Amino acid sequence: MNAPDAPRPIYLDYAATTPLDPGVAAAMAECFTADGTFGNPSSSSHAFGREAAARVERARESIAALIDAPAECIVLTSGATESINLALLGSVRAAVAARRHVVTSRTEHRAGLDACRQLESEGVAVTYLTPDTKGILEPEQVRAALRSDTALASIMHANNEIGVVQDIDAIGAICRERDVLLHVDAAQSVGKLPLQVSDLPIDLMSFTAHKLYGPKGIGALYVAKRARGRIVPLLFGGGQERGLRPGTLATHQVVGFGVAAEIAATVLPTEAQRIVALRERLWQALRAVPGSHLNGDARRRVPGLLNVSFEHVEGESLLAALTGIAVSSGSACSSASQEPSYVLRACGRSTELAQGSLRFSVGRFTTAADIDTAGSLVREQVTRLRAVAA
Amino acid sequence: MIDTLSVVTRRYFDALPGAGAWLADSGRVVSGEAGTERLGTHVRFHLKVAGGRVEEARFQAYGCPHTLAIASWLTERLPGRDRESLIPGRPEEWLAVFAAPVEKLGRLLIVEDALISCKLAAWPSI
Repeated sequence: MNAPDAPRPIYLDYAATTPLDPGVAAAMAECFTADGTFGNPSSSSHAFGREAAARVERARESIAALIDAPAECIVLTSGATESINLALLGSVRAAVAARRHVVTSRTEHRAGLDACRQLESEGVAVTYLTPDTKGILEPEQVRAALRSDTALASIMHANNEIGVVQDIDAIGAICRERDVLLHVDAAQSVGKLPLQVSDLPIDLMSFTAHKLYGPKGIGALYVAKRARGRIVPLLFGGGQERGLRPGTLATHQVVGFGVAAEIAATVLPTEAQRIVALRERLWQALRAVPGSHLNGDARRRVPGLLNVSFEHVEGESLLAALTGIAVSSGSACSSASQEPSYVLRACGRSTELAQGSLRFSVGRFTTAADIDTAGSLVREQVTRLRAVAA
Repeated sequence: MIDTLSVVTRRYFDALPGAGAWLADSGRVVSGEAGTERLGTHVRFHLKVAGGRVEEARFQAYGCPHTLAIASWLTERLPGRDRESLIPGRPEEWLAVFAAPVEKLGRLLIVEDALISCKLAAWPSI
């Protein structure tokens, strides 16, 4: 343990999770105690329940507004992982027996890949597409992979490790031509990039509150009107969320998600601009380190995320050496898994560079001074570890 | 804030005593190495040996914090040792000293291999 009074590190892991916006915390605090909105939203027989239901529906409208969707298309879940599972398992299980094929990418989040593994165990064929060296999937790759029995394509919007943004519009158009449902994992992009599903050929879209300054434990699945009836629930009992996700809604979580969505919608344009500038400031500092390599396309990326490989530096050691900043090892070389990042490997990075990668993600509360300090610390520790390397 | 490293691992990892190598003309220096960067662990020890005993030891390493910390710690334990006693204990014991997760054992076996390589270089005819 570090000394209890040691200064807290600079937080540069906003892609993992974000702190609550103070406005979100205040709104949630109104939903806990006897004088607040603590009722069960399903208890329509009394005022407490009706008050909770009203706040839930107001929050649902805010969440829907953030992605320009009708409120009735928002299914509240426990987070993006559940949404992804509901989208993949629910839609493929609902498909007719003649449609037993899914198209996805090798660089999807584990939630998507593991859901696909589950589908494979149920006899579903899955095609895993490999992106180019910048992490980009060509829409034509999706077209080539679609088969007459394809039920679903599932492609993430912004990658959680390298931040690269896929051309969902073009991919969705191809899926529509073939009447294949498109699910998009947008956990890293909702609230950070403009994403209006009314203008996009997306049928299902997963996202979560805790990536946009809302609480953990609450997420959503957007289900387009055309996808209704083409998805079945994974859970049963209660009938909430149009029967797709039964269970008592956590009013405080939903309210927090709603306020986070309202704030995100308000600040998105200016915040994205500021965060892109901070990310670029950080990259300029890091690229000055000899032997540093940006992972993923330099331009098609979500505002706050930067993934960098450092030659001849082991990621876990670099992470441990950087006690002054909180970042993620892009290599995922944890004590339990010594495998380098599957995302970087899928993009063709060598094992050595994949092992020496870090993910930096800046956010709402990051300052320019934080970035400058982080850049200095990384340079210092990369130099130290290289000096020790065999 | 909670550290992912044990206190002893943190102490050695931050300071890395014994890190580095001697200049090529230092004489009486034997070296041994194991692993590769591609494998995720590459360790090299350098020993100054005189009168059949280690006088001084240094190391170079690419690897996880435990690999670096334990290689560093070993350089403090090598002086005075002869061929028979060169390797101070077993990797399983080093794991315990550093409260390292058992998954690190594979990396520590590479550290041990680097010491064995040194031993063969220092006492090749025995």
